Amino acid sequence: MSSPEGAGHPQPDAAVPPVAPSADAPQPVAAPARAPHAAPAAAVDGPPGEPGTAPVRESEPFEPAGVGWTPVSPRLATARLVVALAWLGVPLVVLVVVAALTGNAWVWASAALVAALAAWVLWLVPRQVRAMGYAERADDLLLRRGIVFRSMVVVPYGRMQYVDVTAGPLARKLGIASVQLHTASPGTDASIDGLPTAEAARLRDQLASRGEARLAGL
Amino acid sequence: MTADRPLPAGAVPPVGAAATPADAVATPAGAAATPADAAAPALAPEPPADDLAWRRMHPVTPAVKGWKVLVAVLAVLAWNAADDVRQLAELLGGRAWLVIVGAIVLITLIGFGYSAIAWRMTRFAVTDDAVHLRSGVVFRQQRQARLDRLQAVDVVQPLLARIIGLSELRLEVAGGAGSGVSLAFLREAEAEQLRAELLARAAGLHRGGRPRPAVAGSTPAGPAAPQAGPAAPPLATTAPDAVPATGHPATPDPDAALSLPVEPDEDWAAAPVAPERPVYEVPVGRLLLSTLLSSATIWLVVMLGGVGALIVSTGRVGSAFALLPALLGVVSYSWTRFNRGANFRAAISPDGIRLRHGLTESRAQTVPPGRVQAVRVTQGLLWRKQDWWRVEVNVAGYGSTGDQAQTENVLLPVGTRDEALLALWLVLPDLGTADPRALVDAGLTGREADGGWAVAPRRSRWLDPVGWRRHGVTVTDRALVLRSGVLVRQLVVVPHERTQSLQLAQGPLQRRLGLASFQLHSTPGPVAPRVDHLDARVAAGLLDEQAARARTARAGAGPEQWMRRA
Repeated sequence: MSSPEGAGHPQPDAAVPPVAPSADAPQPVAAPARAPHAAPAAAVDGPPGEPGTAPVRESEPFEPAGVGWTPVSPRLATARLVVALAWLGVPLVVLVVVAALTGNAWVWASAALVAALAAWVLWLVPRQVRAMGYAERADDLLLRRGIVFRSMVVVPYGRMQYVDVTAGPLARKLGIASVQLHTASPGTDASIDGLPTAEAARLRDQLASRGEARLAGL
Repeated sequence: MTADRPLPAGAVPPVGAAATPADAVATPAGAAATPADAAAPALAPEPPADDLAWRRMHPVTPAVKGWKVLVAVLAVLAWNAADDVRQLAELLGGRAWLVIVGAIVLITLIGFGYSAIAWRMTRFAVTDDAVHLRSGVVFRQQRQARLDRLQAVDVVQPLLARIIGLSELRLEVAGGAGSGVSLAFLREAEAEQLRAELLARAAGLHRGGRPRPAVAGSTPAGPAAPQAGPAAPPLATTAPDAVPATGHPATPDPDAALSLPVEPDEDWAAAPVAPERPVYEVPVGRLLLSTLLSSATIWLVVMLGGVGALIVSTGRVGSAFALLPALLGVVSYSWTRFNRGANFRAAISPDGIRLRHGLTESRAQTVPPGRVQAVRVTQGLLWRKQDWWRVEVNVAGYGSTGDQAQTENVLLPVGTRDEALLALWLVLPDLGTADPRALVDAGLTGREADGGWAVAPRRSRWLDPVGWRRHGVTVTDRALVLRSGVLVRQLVVVPHERTQSLQLAQGPLQRRLGLASFQLHSTPGPVAPRVDHLDARVAAGLLDEQAARARTARAGAGPEQWMRRA
């Protein structure tokens, strides 16, 4: 209204984004919250007292419709396992040696505990890595991770301030790198670990060019 | 030391050393932005003999700054060696005081000497696109703050500077911690004038150095009346637009006067101080009472009770001293809060929001339109009876250190609901809804899903037995509105175009219950917009929709230079 930006309000006709999830979204994108009771979404919701203003997405919460996820390289699991087992292996060996020398039951128990921990890590890490993925949409990048604690981040290209590509010695040996996106918010936790080096370079260039094309102020 | 090297006559400080990585362009975002109009100066580091009009700070600056060294040293000594002083005195016998006094004098001299040298090495220049600052004694630094990335301009007066009539001008440019430019110290009138000038240039009014006065007054933001709450009084205090034309800073130092080109006077006098209209102020009585009613007081009472119980149970008074540091912390927290919120006045001007506050250190902030990233309205438990609210904002560059967060990010230290609404109006004149009052009421105290709030479903009470009734979110044409908190009520408003990134998160229990948390990332500051335990499908839909909505809003957002209409 009276703010200098007020006049620049987007025209509703052009508001439908190219990548709007097509499964539902009966309302226009810029739907105001003025007539919530008319929203058909209210009927879909189970318990009473939950008329959502946002349209309900019928697909799985962490599976947006029409998004093809790119998994990260399984070599990331190798890299993480090497590091984890190096940390667990040394105490394990020490404990086993001490136990063999002393024959103390408690030391054997600790060794077994560490071995169990290692086995758990061996089971967990590949699953974690398989759960990671990213998807390049027309205007933003989606990142997904986690099995038990799941999270999905949407980073608009126009919000990226800079992109980091890093690779430690082990990752270089395995031919993977990680790409991290930075926005003006420190809360944006958007790093993709375990990209093949070539893919990391391509993604970096792609992100940079798309970011430039859509750059907005803060 | 390099510091002692005399300046060659007529030369600006050697820039050879400064044209290194250290000459940080203060905005990391800057490098890529708006290539057409601002890239040139950002890319080309000025040669030493540039045509910039370099100016110096006020020559009294070292006298004001030098004390800090002494105070810092004394504070450190007092903190560390309070117990040893007596031993030290005994050790040194009769001459101890002489030595101590001598050391203090020496430290003072070093402090003033360093400040004087630092003052000599510090110069700044203002162009249409940027503020340039050269500083550093041993390690030289040249910094450039791009005006089109300007996030806020503050005029700060610490107590001593205030007595002498000096001000510090601070520019925030959203480059993270320490990226701002501080011009300390300038004469009061000069700082005011410079602020007006910088804001005019940042607004895009001063292209090509052609002064175009009288534009500032006729803008869209100025004359609008608040749409809610008490009508703003008529334009009572038009800030003195005719601040005495302090065209050129008083530079009594002949050396400086010789070496510095003279800034064209008419350009400086030309920027009128934009007229402003007071919106609200905070009475001292209310601030005092609200500080006493804050959570710090609860802690104080709890702690005093603990101390009393401890003394009674152990029978020894000495044990109480263990709680002394915590007690001091609480008291200093309350004092800081009161000190910084005192004399709080807010006004609206074409340049944006103007805030003035501070008891000992006074501060005048100007936040241009569209620079506020997120707003939070909160109410502690003890404020409920009075219906008082506190309003804080996220502004990029503000509150990068914890200590400042209490000062810079406060839009309203304590106010009635009407005033909180006014504060919200300052940030977002159009909330994008037909009845902003009803929306805000529902957000501040509402519990139901009335008015289009998507709320946490009843099954989320297993995860948040107290707070689940208040978790809610709604969307207007212009902003995302989130509410939470039963004991400490909270309402967060984020304009769509200020969305940085979005996140959906789900833990194992949430997954079992079909819930998910929605989080919106904003720039650093006190406001962290999130709403927990929404129905998972609603949260996912919100994520999709908000991503699209933010994109549309960004495309239609006003230009960074707020006076240049696209």
